[in-house]
Amino acid sequence: MTDVKSEDTNKKTGWSRRDVLKATSAGAAAGATPMFFTQNAWAEEAIGNYPVKGSEVVLGFNVPQTGAYADEGADELRAYKLAVKHLNNGGGMLDTLKPSKLTGNGILGKKVTYVTGDTQTNADASRTSARRMIERDKVIMVTGGSSSGIAIAQQYLCNELGIIFMCGLTHSNDTTGKDKQRYGFRHFFNAHMTGKALSPVLSKEYGKDRRAFHLTADYSWGHTQQESMQEFTEKEGWSTAGNIMTPLKTTDFSQYLSQVLNSDADVLILNHYGANMVNSLTNAVNFGMRDMQKNGKNLEIVVPLYSRLMAKGAGSANIDGVLGTSGWNWALQDEGSQVFVKTFTDEYGFPPSQAAHTCYVQTLLYANACEMAGTFYPPEVIKALEDFKFTGAGNGETLYRGSDHQCIKDILVMQGKSPSARTSEFDYLKIVDEVDAATVDYDPAIFGGELGPYIPA
Amino acid sequence: MLNQDNFWQHNKAVLLFALVALTMPLWFPIMGGYSGLDTKIMIFCIFVVGFDILLGFTGYLSFGHAAFFGISAYVTGIMLKSFSDNIIPAILVAVLAATVVAVIIGLLTLKRTGIYFSILTLAFAEMFDSMAMSMLQKWTGGENGLTGMPTPMLFNLKMQGDTVFYFVTFMAIFLFYMAKRIERSPVGLMMKAIKCNQTRLEFTGINARKYKLLAFVISAVYAAIAGALMVVYEPFVGHEFLGWHQSGEVVIMSVIGGVGTLVGPMLGAGFMLYFENVLSVDLGEQWLLVLGAIFMAVVVFMPGGFMEGIARLKKRYFTTVDGE
Repeated sequence: MTDVKSEDTNKKTGWSRRDVLKATSAGAAAGATPMFFTQNAWAEEAIGNYPVKGSEVVLGFNVPQTGAYADEGADELRAYKLAVKHLNNGGGMLDTLKPSKLTGNGILGKKVTYVTGDTQTNADASRTSARRMIERDKVIMVTGGSSSGIAIAQQYLCNELGIIFMCGLTHSNDTTGKDKQRYGFRHFFNAHMTGKALSPVLSKEYGKDRRAFHLTADYSWGHTQQESMQEFTEKEGWSTAGNIMTPLKTTDFSQYLSQVLNSDADVLILNHYGANMVNSLTNAVNFGMRDMQKNGKNLEIVVPLYSRLMAKGAGSANIDGVLGTSGWNWALQDEGSQVFVKTFTDEYGFPPSQAAHTCYVQTLLYANACEMAGTFYPPEVIKALEDFKFTGAGNGETLYRGSDHQCIKDILVMQGKSPSARTSEFDYLKIVDEVDAATVDYDPAIFGGELGPYIPA
Repeated sequence: MLNQDNFWQHNKAVLLFALVALTMPLWFPIMGGYSGLDTKIMIFCIFVVGFDILLGFTGYLSFGHAAFFGISAYVTGIMLKSFSDNIIPAILVAVLAATVVAVIIGLLTLKRTGIYFSILTLAFAEMFDSMAMSMLQKWTGGENGLTGMPTPMLFNLKMQGDTVFYFVTFMAIFLFYMAKRIERSPVGLMMKAIKCNQTRLEFTGINARKYKLLAFVISAVYAAIAGALMVVYEPFVGHEFLGWHQSGEVVIMSVIGGVGTLVGPMLGAGFMLYFENVLSVDLGEQWLLVLGAIFMAVVVFMPGGFMEGIARLKKRYFTTVDGE
């Protein structure tokens, strides 16, 4: 219909279709000529807050400042501020990260500034806050989050709006599994890698004929953590006596623990994080479970995901000897970790947590990817991050895998220190084993999900 | 002529609200707002106006309105995801579902008054919250929230940015107008009579339960519309939508703005969201503390909320000429 119509009008004005086509293509060619001389410019339409205007570039730090994870959020924010300082003035891991194009003079010559927001550990609030950063403050990248649900919610939002999201502390398999997104990147490890790293150590320490009972936090992270632990301990020859999903709000775990005691299990696996873990472990100790015998063996407790803040909450007498995993620890001796711990301690007076480490590294990696791409144009930055291999940012050589945006790196198996073995007030955990990246590597296809296109719809 | 005066008198508030709301994109950015937040404020205006029909008119304090907001949001999300990306059927089905739930909960809870009613509604809302987190996790996404919806469409119009804002704003203006109509109608009078003295009303031979249920369901429909629009505005549903925190926030918005005035709660909603998203940034970690202090100050010194404050100012500066 419209075709015929336009032809009619063309005839009236004395233009044939061929004339119109000729004129259009000539005009288009003429109009595009200046663009051929600017590299890639023809492809780089505005995405998200690209292009960056002015002499400053703004990053968005969205962390929990109130609520259950406020402690971790505060530490993340400290790390972000330190990263900005180093990006603008040099120092820190800028000297150890390899390969690196970071200059210590901002990103691509633009001074780095930042805005902060409060996620309240609430998916809705975190999205509103991220939206404010993107729409009002024109941030080029958002980073943060201290819970998998929150990270996934923000990742979807950022992907939709064409803003790169660098995940903070999130350990669920879903973040780079079934919910992975082209614009989301995770440096932290995940539950699957925890299972893979921890299970061999468990079977070596406790024997191959153990029976495990799981208590699991009833949400994304807990579910994937439990699945992974069950899968890998069973590969070691263990059997599973049972699993109870405990609501996230639970503070008294006695009723679940008595079910564990009534079963024939001789290992208790606590797939809990933060305050949940502190409470369930304390309850178990009060039940006398750490001094108990089952099936002729000592009853053992395992905490798959460990952090210094949790160890502190539970108290060192309670975690003495308990095994778990961490992404990073301030006691690591490599060059990158050392320089980070030193600058962080100089600035704030105490060593950083693993959450601080992953947030700091994420910020630097994003900045470095921009430098490598030579632009803030998100698709180019994403391509620079994908399959990027680097060292000098803590535990060993690390690969940012292109197929699911998950970092593949060494993982630490940690054990709680007894009160007498501690050397400082921040010394709660000792490193039992550094499991190398090749051992914890896995096929990204097992979790499904799709990254989607480079240019958002 | 007289009729026209009446029209102006009756609809002054609605017209003023329409003027303020529709020009929001012009003045809101100047005071630090941004285009996503104005839409959210409009959505919560709908929510609190509906809530005021229940709390302000009948005096029944519900602590479970998040249930209708959340159920509607989930149904909208699931409809968009698996039925069609057109928002019209999604909103209709969502509001219908929430209305059915509201009738059932209303019948069960409205037999009680005062604190018992509040606790009962709270219990129902918490029930839905834990259901979304456990049994229905497969459909609701549990803690992760419901994600992965297509961009909502109004037939051929993409619901993004300004389009959503104007769509939501026109809904808000219409629903505010309807609330004003209800306030002036005989039904509205009955509702207010319930607040005044329910026993006396029943002695005159009027079935008060009918009007209570009507008020409850109407306010639930408003909440459901707000819930559905929330998903249109942002294709994501968190289980927080169902939580007690959401219900509490609406109560605070109403109280801080002025219960029973319809306009007040909307002021409260605007203030709360503006505070939470704009002012909180400058206050850092302490913003909740400051908000709490403001809330307490309002309750102690201006029990009628912002509306009482405005009325006092008016009295001081505009009636001195007339004298007492």
